[in-house]
Amino acid sequence: MVVSKSDLIKFFNSIQPQFDIFVPYKTEREIDDLEFNKYDPDKEFVLDKYRTVDPVRALFYMPSESVLPPSAKSNKRIIAGVKNCDLLGLAVLDDALLKDNFIEPNYKIWRDNSYIISCDCTDALQTCHCVLLDNNPYPNNDTEGQALFDLNLSPVDDKFIITVGSKKGEELLEKIKEECSLAEVTDNEKEILEANRAEVLKKVRDINTDFSMDRNYDVITENKEASVWKEFCNECVQCGACTNICPTCYCLILNDESTKEEFRKVRSWDSCQLAGYAEVAGGGTPREHRWETFRNRYQCKHNFLKYNFDKLGCTGCGRCISACPAGIDLREVIQSLQEV
Amino acid sequence: MPDKNPYEVLKADVLDVIEESPTIKSFYLKPERQFEFVTGQFIELSLPGIGEAPFTPSSSHYEKEKIWVTIMNAGFVTNEIHKVQKGDVMGIRGPYGKGYPLDVFKGKDVLLLGGGVGLAPLRCLLQTMIHDINDYKSITVCFGARTPDDMIYKDQIADWKKHEKIHHLCTVDKCSESDIWKGKTGVVTILLDDIKVDPQNAIAVVCGPPIMMKFGTFSLLDKGFKPENIYLSMEKKMYCGFGQCRHCVMGKYYACKDGPVFTYEQIKDEEKIWD
Repeated sequence: MVVSKSDLIKFFNSIQPQFDIFVPYKTEREIDDLEFNKYDPDKEFVLDKYRTVDPVRALFYMPSESVLPPSAKSNKRIIAGVKNCDLLGLAVLDDALLKDNFIEPNYKIWRDNSYIISCDCTDALQTCHCVLLDNNPYPNNDTEGQALFDLNLSPVDDKFIITVGSKKGEELLEKIKEECSLAEVTDNEKEILEANRAEVLKKVRDINTDFSMDRNYDVITENKEASVWKEFCNECVQCGACTNICPTCYCLILNDESTKEEFRKVRSWDSCQLAGYAEVAGGGTPREHRWETFRNRYQCKHNFLKYNFDKLGCTGCGRCISACPAGIDLREVIQSLQEV
Repeated sequence: MPDKNPYEVLKADVLDVIEESPTIKSFYLKPERQFEFVTGQFIELSLPGIGEAPFTPSSSHYEKEKIWVTIMNAGFVTNEIHKVQKGDVMGIRGPYGKGYPLDVFKGKDVLLLGGGVGLAPLRCLLQTMIHDINDYKSITVCFGARTPDDMIYKDQIADWKKHEKIHHLCTVDKCSESDIWKGKTGVVTILLDDIKVDPQNAIAVVCGPPIMMKFGTFSLLDKGFKPENIYLSMEKKMYCGFGQCRHCVMGKYYACKDGPVFTYEQIKDEEKIWD
């Protein structure tokens, strides 16, 4: 199915009373930056291009929320313009926060009530490196229960080819059909789609020619004591930006804000990069040196999460590189370890 | 919402507070409803408006109406908890983690090696085993503390010794002349010289400060205990209790979810387990 941008706007306008819609807009700060905001019919949104500044995680796992009682609202939401690196991030969060008997109450409410409309990337930032992780700048179209999106949009000229990824996606497609008539995809449009995807893939590859495509994460464990850690860590100021901006970080601290009337627990983001993170009463800590703290993020993303969920904690979005005030590039750290 | 909120807190009335040592107190709590746990599992105990911290109950897991928690004043939250008095209200959530595999212990000689406030979880295990004492071949209790004043549960030794199957040994690191002390003097590992079990087939359970756990484990290995028969209760920063906050991660394991009880065999290759 193919939908034009003007019909998509018509659809957003018609369902706005029932849904909270979030879409990427250009920020006023920097010409290149995109960020998720509530849908505004008077402003022009950007569904394609590249990832937003903040990860989509921030719409599902807020910086600070009451978990007892849960504070998440059950409004139906549409989050449109999500990129593949964020879809992969949500897949990690699903494994971490919706498992066994321990379901993060807010995340579940936000997730259950959200419809995700992803979009192929059509451009890339200098920090984008999904290709180094064997990921693509567009979602996997495998729709046999494996798709991470509800609907995916692939831009073709001023239209979008729609791919349905889930039951929720089918539901959305029905709603779109109520507002406008959708055309079938032509062979020509299919060719354009493939050409667009090949072009953006090449673009991300070209950005990353300095780095080995053959990544090996065992080097992190093999070179635990390597001087590479100490060298890169010299620049680190332990601000925690890399973890707060990551699409897969979910470390938390709990604050007890109970009153005489009720028990109340507030969950906030934490960061393994901050001092005192793993320290126990009495002062013992498994990571005594700053470079061990620095190294922990790499171990967690590439070794521990891989063991825990059989998924890498890095999706190649490159946000940690953009956010780092010291200019530390994760790609260079891994590359240096591979060259030890 | 069909799923149980994992952060749900049970109100618990403080029935009594007992001073066990200058730095350790026991709190006798009555949860608002029956509280089920397995020995070795831990709870998050909260002081409303202040904070919460992980502790292992020190009463038998057969006791479901009331539970004992023994706490050392070691940090911000425990310092505030030490101000709690009879009649106050606290919160309990849990239980979390995996407990001691009692089925594995049955029919065997079990050695409990504990130091300082590490006796608290071991008391829970001991009281639970006493309930089914015929299931075990023998129980050897090796307890240590810094000074006679720091030794907790002294008043209960006589009760334990009534059981033929229980052998109780204790030591203090140092003892001044004015102290009335009938046990040994020296670090807790010296007690291992006096044990009468076959290390090849015995189970050892170790709990105490990190340095004691480390040398306790090494001494047990020297005596011939097998790494897979040495059970360690790991202390890490367990914030959430169920593998979400990641503060307690030990390499590929979560201390909260995969532990806090681990065999030495399981974790011997993880880094910095003793810190």
